[in-house]
Amino acid sequence: MIGKPEWFRRRKYTGWGFTPVTWQGWVYVFVMVLPIILLANLYKVSQAWLGFVIVWAVVFCVDFIHIVSHLPKDERDRMHEAIAERNALWAIVAVLAVGVAYQAASVAVSQDMTKVDPVILVAIFAGLIAKAVSNIYLDKKD
Amino acid sequence: METKITYFRNKLAITQEQLAEIVGVTRQTIISLEQNRYNPSLLLAHKITKALRQKYIEEVFVL
Repeated sequence: MIGKPEWFRRRKYTGWGFTPVTWQGWVYVFVMVLPIILLANLYKVSQAWLGFVIVWAVVFCVDFIHIVSHLPKDERDRMHEAIAERNALWAIVAVLAVGVAYQAASVAVSQDMTKVDPVILVAIFAGLIAKAVSNIYLDKKD
Repeated sequence: METKITYFRNKLAITQEQLAEIVGVTRQTIISLEQNRYNPSLLLAHKITKALRQKYIEEVFVL
């Protein structure tokens, strides 16, 4: 892996991800994001350059997941993170549920099934599966 | 739960930062424990008791 978890800390107040706490962390963010910024600002993009950026982005994603999953956290941090993530999830589910209800009402009125956004249903269903699998795993583990 | 971490820590003349490093938590966690705002896991309570050179958890953490 390229970046080290100790260069960062958990992002608490401005979304998800990590915040650099050392100069190495800032250099890492700059170097990893630079090709994507360049791509966005180039007038003409060659196939080779596009391929390079895609590979670069995949490497960055894998490294990002590694860093986020290994950020230094003690038990209090973990508990706070779990509660905050749960609350965030409840907010997301509430919005999605309202969205589904609204779309279902639209379908009932117009009889037009295309008004149902499958992405919302898949998101809720994916959350349901993730929760069930997590509970099965945790019940067996502890 | 009340703790006597501050008392034993002062007795050993170690800082919150040092104790945090010994038991592998952040200084913020030690502050929360000293202010009786956070109930630690059994493992952490055990580590802190050892770090403060006490024999029993009940000497440091009082119900």
